[in-house]
Amino acid sequence: MSALEAVPRIESRSNRGSATWMVVPALVLLIGFFALPYLTIITMSLREASTRAVYGEGLTLSHYTTALGDFYIWGILGRTLLIGATVTVLSLLLGYPVAYHLAKSRSRWTSLLYIFVLSPLLVGLVVRTFAWMIILSNNGVANQALKAIGLITFPLQLMNNSLGVTIALTHVFLPFIILPLLGNLQAISPDLAMASRSLGASRMRTFWKVTLPLSMPGIQAGTILVFVLSISAYVTPAMLGGTGGRTMSVLVVQYLVDNFRWPAGAALAIIMAAVAVMFVGLYLKLTARAMRRLP
Amino acid sequence: MKLTRREFAVGMTTAIASMTLPRLASAQSSLVVPTYGGLWAKFWEEKLLPGLTSATGIQPQLDVGLGKDFVAKIRAGGDRSPYSIFMGNENIAAVLRAEGFFEPFDLTKVPNAQKTFPQFVNKDAKGIRAVVSPIGLAYRIDLVKTAPTSWHDLWENPEFKGKTGLYQIGNTGAVLFLRLVAELFGSGPDDFDTAFTKIKELLPFTQASWSGEVATALIRGDAIIAPVDWTEIMTLQDKGAPVAIVAPKEGVLAFEQSFNLVATGTEKDAAHAYLNYILDANVQQDMAKAFYTSPSNSSSVVDEKMSVRTPIVGPRMAEIKSYDWNSYVDKAAEIADRWNREMA
Repeated sequence: MSALEAVPRIESRSNRGSATWMVVPALVLLIGFFALPYLTIITMSLREASTRAVYGEGLTLSHYTTALGDFYIWGILGRTLLIGATVTVLSLLLGYPVAYHLAKSRSRWTSLLYIFVLSPLLVGLVVRTFAWMIILSNNGVANQALKAIGLITFPLQLMNNSLGVTIALTHVFLPFIILPLLGNLQAISPDLAMASRSLGASRMRTFWKVTLPLSMPGIQAGTILVFVLSISAYVTPAMLGGTGGRTMSVLVVQYLVDNFRWPAGAALAIIMAAVAVMFVGLYLKLTARAMRRLP
Repeated sequence: MKLTRREFAVGMTTAIASMTLPRLASAQSSLVVPTYGGLWAKFWEEKLLPGLTSATGIQPQLDVGLGKDFVAKIRAGGDRSPYSIFMGNENIAAVLRAEGFFEPFDLTKVPNAQKTFPQFVNKDAKGIRAVVSPIGLAYRIDLVKTAPTSWHDLWENPEFKGKTGLYQIGNTGAVLFLRLVAELFGSGPDDFDTAFTKIKELLPFTQASWSGEVATALIRGDAIIAPVDWTEIMTLQDKGAPVAIVAPKEGVLAFEQSFNLVATGTEKDAAHAYLNYILDANVQQDMAKAFYTSPSNSSSVVDEKMSVRTPIVGPRMAEIKSYDWNSYVDKAAEIADRWNREMA
C-alpha cells in the first residue's frame, strides 16, 4: 500500500474515534435520564401493593395481569390510540397543504405564516387549554355561535369527551407535523416537478407521482412525532376529556399521584409505553416498506 | 488590567461559588415549608413567613406545590425527608400516617394547640388540622330560582338536574362528598354502596379536578350549583361574579389542612415552632381575611364584617363534618376505581 493510500485510512480511523466520543454525552444522558428511570419504573411495577407502606415486600406480576384482564383499561387504551391516530391523520391533512404552501411560497408574508404555524406553541399549555374550554363548553363560544345561526337548539357535547381532546390536540400538534414536512419539501428539487410537467403530467399527477412520494420521509417523521405526543399528552385530556375522554396518561397519573398506587400505576405506564413502541415499530416497518415500493 | 480567558473563567467560578455556597449551606440547615400556589403562596411569602421569622428567628424556605406532590417527595425521600412538617388535606395525610412517615407532635412545644378547636387536633397529637376551608353549596344567583338550603336539594330540586358540578374523585372534595352522601342517605360515612347509588342519580354532572375548575364551570353556566369551598366563591364574588354560597342545614364539609410532624425530617423543633405560629390567633385571623378560611383558633377575633363573608366561625365550627380517614386508606384505591367506572 502506498503512503498516499494510507492517509485517508488514518483520517477515517481518527474520524471514527472522534465520532464515537461525540456520542458519549448523548449516551450518558440517555442512560441517566431514560434507561435508569425506566428500570426504576419496571422494578416498581413488580412490587406488591400495600396501604401500610409505599409498596409491599415481595415481587409480583399481578399488576400486569389485573390490568391486562380488565376491559375498562383496554377501553381506555383503545380510546388513547384512537385519539392519537385521529389527531395524526387530521394534523397531516391540515398540515400538509400549509407545509407545501410555505415550501413553495416566495411571498413576503411567508414569515407571518410561520408565526401562525408556531402560534400554538407560543401560549402556555394550561392557558391554551382553558381557552379551548371557553370555546367548547356547553355555553361556550362554539355552541353559542351554532345556536345563534339556528343550527342547534340544545348545546352539543364538544368537551368532556374524545372530541374535545382531539380538537385541542390537533391544534397544538399541528406545528410538529408542518415543520418536518416543510424541511422535507424544501429539500425536493423543483427540477423534478418541472421535468414531470414538461413530460406532459398534469399538476395533480405531478403531485401524486413526484412530490408526495418524495415527501414520505417528512410525513413519516411528522406523523410519528404527532402520534407519540398525542398518546402521551396529559394536561389537555385531563382538562378537556372529563370522564368520557379519559386517556391512559390521565389514568396513570391518577393511579400514581391521586391514589398513591405506585406499583399499579408503574405497571400501567409500562403497558402504555410497550403498546406505543409496538405501534410505532409497526408503523415504521409499514411506511419503510411502502417507501421502498415507490417509483 | 487585561484579563486572560483562563483568569476570567477562574474569577467567574469563584464569584458564582461564593454566591451559591452560603445559600446551599443555609438550605441544609433551614426548615422547608410546603404550601399551595395562588393566594396561599402569596400569603405565605408576604405575610406568614416574614412574621414567623420575626417571631421565632426561623428562616424557612418555601416549597409551593400540591399536597400530593409533598407526599411523593416525602415517600421518595425515604429516611431523609425534604420536609420536617407536612401540610395536606387530612385524607391525604392519613396515607402517609398509615405508612409510618409521621410521628406525634409534642404539644408542650405547640402552646397554641390548647386554643385550637378540639375537633381539629387528632388523637394523640398525630396531626393538627390547622387551616380550615369550609365547603358549602355554591350556586349561580342569576340562574337559580330557589336557593339551596339543604344537601338534599341536589336530588330534589329539578332546577339542578344535569346542572350540578362535582369534584372528580382525585380531589379531596369528591371523597368528602361521597362520605357525606353515605352519611345522609345510608348507615354512616362508610356506607359507600348507598353513596354511589345516590350520586349516580345526579348524573350527568360536570366533574372538575380542582376548585378553580368548578368555579370556571359555574361562571360558564355549565353548572349552576356545586359543592365548593368558601375561598373560591368569595374570590369569585370579589371579581363581581353572580355566585353565592350557603351552609346547608345538615352541616358543611371542609378542606382541612392537616399539619404533621415528619419522622424522617431534621428540623423538628423548627417544625413545632412553625405549627405553633400557624395556630396563632392573629395569624388565623389574617388567613381568614386573606383567603376566607375559618380560624381554627377559638380565641381569634371574628368581627361582624368578616363573619358575613366567612360565616362558619366560632361556635359554628361545630357544623363542620370531620371524618376519620384511618380506615378509609385501605379502601381508597378501590373507591377511586369504582368512581371512574361508574360516574361516567
